[in-house]
Amino acid sequence: MNFNFTEEQTQFKDVIKSLLADECTPSSIRDGWSAKKSFNQSRWNKISELGVLSSNLSEEDGGLGMDQVALALMVEEMGYAGLPEPVAEQTFLVNDLMPLFPEGLKDEIKSIHESGNQYIALAHPLSPNPLFLGHAAALLLFDESTYQFILKDDLNFKPLASNDPSRELSAIDSIKKSISSSENFETLNSAVTARGSLMTAALLIGLAQKMLDLSSAYVLDRNQFGKPIGSFQAIKHMLADIAVEIEFAKPTVYRAAHSLLDKNPKSNLHCSHAKYMSARAAELACKNSIQAHGAMGYTWEMDLHIYMRKAWSLMACWGNEDKQQDIIYKTLTTSKDELGVLYTF
Amino acid sequence: MHLLKKEMQILKMKINFTKDQDIFRQEVRSWLADNVPKESLLSLDTKEGFEQHRQWEKTLNSGNWSMVTWPKEYGGRGLDLIQWLIFEEEYYRAEAPTRVNQNGVFLLGPTLMEFGTHEQKSKFLNAMATGDHIWSQGWSEPGAGSDMAAIRTTAVLEGDNYRINGQKTWSSRAAYADWTFGLFRTDLDSERHRGLSFILVPLDLPGVTVRPIPQLDGEPGFAEIYFDDVIVPVENLLGGDGEGWKIAMATAGFERGLMLRSPARFQQTAAKLLNLYIENEEHCSPMMQSKIVEAWAQSESYALSIYHTASKMLAGGSIGSESSLGKIFWSELDHMMHQTALKILGASAELSNSSEHDAAQWIKGFMFSYGGPIYAGTNEIQKNIIAERLLGLPK
Ligand SMILES: Cc1cc2nc3c(=O)[nH]c(=O)nc-3n(C[C@H](O)[C@H](O)[C@H](O)COP(=O)(O)OP(=O)(O)OC[C@H]3O[C@@H](n4cnc5c(N)ncnc54)[C@H](O)[C@@H]3O)c2cc1C
Repeated sequence: MNFNFTEEQTQFKDVIKSLLADECTPSSIRDGWSAKKSFNQSRWNKISELGVLSSNLSEEDGGLGMDQVALALMVEEMGYAGLPEPVAEQTFLVNDLMPLFPEGLKDEIKSIHESGNQYIALAHPLSPNPLFLGHAAALLLFDESTYQFILKDDLNFKPLASNDPSRELSAIDSIKKSISSSENFETLNSAVTARGSLMTAALLIGLAQKMLDLSSAYVLDRNQFGKPIGSFQAIKHMLADIAVEIEFAKPTVYRAAHSLLDKNPKSNLHCSHAKYMSARAAELACKNSIQAHGAMGYTWEMDLHIYMRKAWSLMACWGNEDKQQDIIYKTLTTSKDELGVLYTF
Repeated sequence: MHLLKKEMQILKMKINFTKDQDIFRQEVRSWLADNVPKESLLSLDTKEGFEQHRQWEKTLNSGNWSMVTWPKEYGGRGLDLIQWLIFEEEYYRAEAPTRVNQNGVFLLGPTLMEFGTHEQKSKFLNAMATGDHIWSQGWSEPGAGSDMAAIRTTAVLEGDNYRINGQKTWSSRAAYADWTFGLFRTDLDSERHRGLSFILVPLDLPGVTVRPIPQLDGEPGFAEIYFDDVIVPVENLLGGDGEGWKIAMATAGFERGLMLRSPARFQQTAAKLLNLYIENEEHCSPMMQSKIVEAWAQSESYALSIYHTASKMLAGGSIGSESSLGKIFWSELDHMMHQTALKILGASAELSNSSEHDAAQWIKGFMFSYGGPIYAGTNEIQKNIIAERLLGLPK
C-alpha cells in the first residue's frame, strides 16, 4: 500500500504546469474566443513536442508508456490552466483505448498518429458533439451498439455554439464513408465511458482549484469597509467550503486512475465516484467564487468565467452528477456486500 | 521530441494491500472474533458501563492491541499507520466496544510520544495501555471555549509542585476518569497563548471536585472539574513551562486528523445505512437514493483521503492545518448519515428504546452527531483556520 506519487511524478506535473502557465494564459484564451479559433496550433505543437499527446501509448507505439495515474495528474493541470485544446480527450479517450480496438482500426489510428501531431476527435452518446472537428484528421463515433472510424473528408458537419467559447463543437450531418464495427463493443463502450468520467473529473478538480485560487487572490485585493473583504468571515467560510470539497474529491480521481491501471473490476464505479465528487466540488467552486467576487464576478471582463464556463460544460458531459449518482446507486443496491470498509482497495 | 521521457519513470503508486498486510488483517480479525464481548456492554457513561469498558481495554491490552503504532516497550507493536488503519477497519467491522480511553490512546499518547521524557512515556503510556489510567481532556473553561487562549485556570510553581486553582468544563469521560490533561496558566502575568503549560493531573487528588453534566442523551458524558489548591508535582509537566500552547496544537491536530476519527467508523455507518434503506425501501421516496449515494461516496472519499495522508506521513511528510479540512468533512458526513437514517425510520424515529431496525442506536448516534461539528474545535473555527493558514486570507 503506497498511495503516494513519486518524485518523478511531481517533477512531471511541474513541467506541464509551467508550460501551460506560459502558453495558456487567460489572454491567450480570450484571443482564441475573439478569433473564433480556440485551437491554437502552436500551443498544440509545443505540448506535442513534450510527448504528452502520446504519453500513454506504449513505447513501441511511439509513446512514453506512462500510466493513467500520471495522466490524471497531467489532466488536472490542463483543467487548472483552462486549456482549450483537446489534449485530455486525445490521450484519455482515444490513445488509452487503442489496445482495445480491432487490428484494422488500430492501424488506421496509428497511421494518423505517425503522420504528425494529428488529432482524432471522439463522439459518444454521453458527449455527442465532438470538439474541434475542424482540426481533426478523423472522428471516432460511438452509438448505442457500434463504433465507426471516419476520416474528416468523409464527414459533413456544422458548427454548434457552446456556452464555453473555447469548446468549438460540431453537429454531424452526414457520413459518406466509414469503417464500422461492433467487435468488442461492450468492453470498448464501458472503457470509454469510464475514461470520460475520469477525464472530466480530473479537469474539474483543476478548474475548481483555479477558481479557488482566483477568489483567494481577489478577496485579498478588494477592500470594503476599510479592509480586505477576505478578512470577513462570511467570505472566508465560503472559500474554506470549496477547499474541503476539493480535498476530498482529489483522492477519488487518483484512486480511479489507479483502478484503470490495475484493471480493477470496480473501475467503472470508481470513475463514477470521481466524477460525482469532482462535479460537486466544481459546482460549489462556481457558486461561491462568483459570490466572493460580487458584481465583478458577474462580468465578461473578469477572468473567473473562463474557467467557470469550462466547468459548466464538463459537469454536464460524460455523465453529470445525476447520471453518476444513478450508476453508484445501482451498484450499491446490487452488490452491497462488496462495498464498504473491506472493499475500499 | 519526448523531452519528458528522460525525466520520468513509470509511476509506482500501489494502492493495494500487501500479503503481509492481509495476514495482519486476518490476525486482527480472528483475535477480535474470539474476544469481542457477545453481549454489548452497558453505556460507557454509566458507572458500571465505564468499568466494563475499562475491562475491555485490559482485554485488548492482553492481546497487545491497545495501540498498535506504539513501540513495544510502551505496550504497542511498533506497527505503521497503514496497519493501524487496517486494525481500525477490523475493529469497526467487528462492532467492538467504544474505546473509553480514546482521549488517552489517540490524543495524549501521540503527544507524549512527541514531547514526553522517557520517564513520562514509560509511566503514562504503559498505564494507558493497561487501562489503569483512563484519561479526560481539560481544555475548555466557562470563559474559554472556541477562544482557548482565554484560559484562566492557574498552576503556580511552588518548589517542586504546581498549585492549581480554577475550573475546567465539558471534559468528556471526566465523570469516571482517573486523570485529566490540559492547559493551565503558569505565568500569571501572561496573556493569551503565552504562559500556558501542559500538565497532567490525577482526578483523585485532594481539592479536585468533579461535577458530571448530563448530555443530550441524559447521561453524564462530560463533566466540570474544579481545582481548589490542588498540588501536582512538576514531573507532571509535559514539555517546557510556558510551551503548552504549541503542544496543545499538536494534540488538537491528532484529534482533528486521522487519529480520533479513522475512516472505518464512517464507512461502517454508511454500510449500516445502506442496509437500513434496503430493508425499508418501499416506504422511501427516491430522494433517499441520493442520500444513500452521498453517504457511500463521502465515506469512501474520506477513507481514500486518509490512506493518501497516511502514505504521505509514512514517506516522511506531516499534516498541519490540513487536518481542519478533514474535521469538517467527517463531522458533517456523520450528521448527514444519521439524519438520513432517522428519515428512513419514519415515525419510529422517536422510539428511543426500540430495537427494531436498531432505532435506539440510530437515535443515540443522531444526537451524538450534533456534537461532531462542535468538539475538537467548532467547524466555524476550522474554517477560519483553513482560510487564514491554507488560503492565506487576513485575520
Ligand atoms: C460532545 C462534546 C464533547 C466535548 N469534550 C470536551 C473535552 O473532552 N474537553 C474539553 O476541553 N472540551 C470539550 N468539549 C468542548 C468543546 O471543545 C467546546 O464546546 C468548543 O471548543 C466550543 O466552545 P463553546 O462550547 O464555548 O462554544 P463558543 O465558543 O461559545 O461557540 C458558540 C458558537 O459561536 C461560534 N464562534 C465562536 N467563536 C467564533 C469565531 N471566532 N468565529 C466564528 N464563530 C465563532 C462557534 O463556532 C459556535 O457555533 C466538548 C464539547 C462537546 C459538544
